[in-house]
Amino acid sequence: MKRKKSTKSDLSNQNERKRSKGVSQWNIAWRRFKKNKAALAGALVIGFVFFLAAFDSLIAPYPPNALPAFYQGETRVSPSLKYLFGTDYVGHDVFSQVVYGARSALYVGFGAAAIAMSLAILVGLVSGFYGGLVDNILMRITEIFLVIPFLLILLVFLQVINAVAPSGVGGLSMVAIMIGLFSWASNARIIRGEVLRVKESEFIEASKSLGASKRRIIFRHIFPNVLHTIIVLTTLMIANAILVEAAVSFLGFGDPNAITWGQQLQKANEAVKEAWWEGVFPGLFITLLVLGFSLLGNGLRDALDPRLRE
Amino acid sequence: MELNLMTQKEILRIENLKTYFDTWAGIVKAVDGVSLDVREGETLGLVGESGSGKSVTALSILGIVPRPGKIMDGRIIYKGQNLVEKTENELQKIRGKEIGYIFQDPATSLNPVFSVADQLTEVIRRHQTVTKKEALEKAIELFRLVDIPDPEIKIWNFPHQLSGGMKQRMAVARALSCQPSLLLADEPTTNLDVTIQAQILQLMKNLKNSLGMSMILITHDMGVVAGVADRITVLYAGRVCETADTKTIFYSPRHPYTKALLTAVPSLVLKKEKLEVIPGSIPNLIEPPSGCRFHPRCEYAQTKCAKKIPPLVEIEPGHYVACIRASEIEIKSPLGAEANE
Repeated sequence: MKRKKSTKSDLSNQNERKRSKGVSQWNIAWRRFKKNKAALAGALVIGFVFFLAAFDSLIAPYPPNALPAFYQGETRVSPSLKYLFGTDYVGHDVFSQVVYGARSALYVGFGAAAIAMSLAILVGLVSGFYGGLVDNILMRITEIFLVIPFLLILLVFLQVINAVAPSGVGGLSMVAIMIGLFSWASNARIIRGEVLRVKESEFIEASKSLGASKRRIIFRHIFPNVLHTIIVLTTLMIANAILVEAAVSFLGFGDPNAITWGQQLQKANEAVKEAWWEGVFPGLFITLLVLGFSLLGNGLRDALDPRLRE
Repeated sequence: MELNLMTQKEILRIENLKTYFDTWAGIVKAVDGVSLDVREGETLGLVGESGSGKSVTALSILGIVPRPGKIMDGRIIYKGQNLVEKTENELQKIRGKEIGYIFQDPATSLNPVFSVADQLTEVIRRHQTVTKKEALEKAIELFRLVDIPDPEIKIWNFPHQLSGGMKQRMAVARALSCQPSLLLADEPTTNLDVTIQAQILQLMKNLKNSLGMSMILITHDMGVVAGVADRITVLYAGRVCETADTKTIFYSPRHPYTKALLTAVPSLVLKKEKLEVIPGSIPNLIEPPSGCRFHPRCEYAQTKCAKKIPPLVEIEPGHYVACIRASEIEIKSPLGAEANE
């Protein structure tokens, strides 16, 4: 009896200590995120693709661009134990190529998102915080980027760069940069809106009344309060960039030296009827990865939204 | 004591302050020629209806009037320096260090993403050269000062973990963190329930006395100023109506608006059947009434009231009234004579 009592008070003590540490917004978000099965599944898929990209040469049975099936007359054979996803008409092992494509997809996804989000954050913060003429000018520029037909201009630019420079200049990086440069506009608008909301909060006025400088207000008080939006937008931006890269490659404007899922789709394009495996597997991976990021993004949005509190 | 107050040095003097907001609808004259002064160690109550320019006056002192507001004219003299002429950088050094500000709503005046410790040490380190550890010790000391239990533990909490009263204590602690000489409290108790309200007011009163600060207490609640303020300035539509010590304002007001405000206070002592209200509402500040701005709602108004802007006249030592009929009319305080204290 006595013992029981003491353990109970120990427990409550422990709880006390835990609570006393302070529950940050991150703690709350993580607790909520853990409960979201779909988001966890998304994270799992992304983790799996990361795993493929990290250990691609160990996982893939053949080196990149190798033609193991070519000399044995096994081009365009259906999936078997030897060729997990079959082979294409040149003699590539589709499985190996899909594994090597993971790195390209992630590279373009993260690269383009990094560029696009940096621009979007910069424009959004400055425009929202300073307002007035600065806001007006930046928002008109943003609108120009919003109304131009994104994919078309992207293809034109890539083509021009290819024509001017020796083929494959920048390669995949150039594709990522181009996607990044042309897809920041809508995110900048969303971030600006969030900044406008936070800017009017009383705690901003309070920090002004305590002698905070403008830079301090922007980076210490406004930025952390729009960070949750930025995280969600970044996740969705990555998914979008992967899709766009696949589209660009599929249309034949990508980096010819890189192994990407979009290019595999393009090569498979002519043989959909005879060799479904050539297109289905890279397509499946694109879909899965993009879906993974979308699920993760939605999960993060639900978890990070301060308005939803249990 | 009262004689003492009269002779005490001024810490802040505002002369003819005009703060206008240039909106699409026209120029809103939120503060239009306010003059007041705060002496060392005293609490000045700044009283008026919503929209009378109380908050804008306080924000003007710190130079943080939100856009499109701008100080058009006047002088704000704090310890001999004119704050209106200071640059943004110079003002940043005064804000929080020399003059503290407490906001109305503690729920929104704290940044939700940082712990209380972060927010307190931020201010301390902004104005004082101390290490992180020293700043934290100071912050805990401040928490003890504002009567928060278990300060070492509570300081790691985030604002959403604290109750409303606790948050306002935290906001008081933040405003006091650098021992300001002047504290501006903008309706610090409006969003708190009555018992907490009393606690916070008592706390601020005690701290003011023990730290030797001056305070401007902004409120629309006559009950709040009665308990805390040494002197009161009554604002109406961006202008000063009357300034006097608290007793005089309550027991022998000379401005019709002050009387109307006192009449509107619900009272248990006077056993009124129904709540008195001031007829009409605060005027449009884009095109305010001519002459005395209160004349359309004033029971003593005459035609001359609409013609001349009443100057703020000292009718007795320390008692200023802006009413041209002040000497003609006899106003009886709704609270009765002073004799009953």
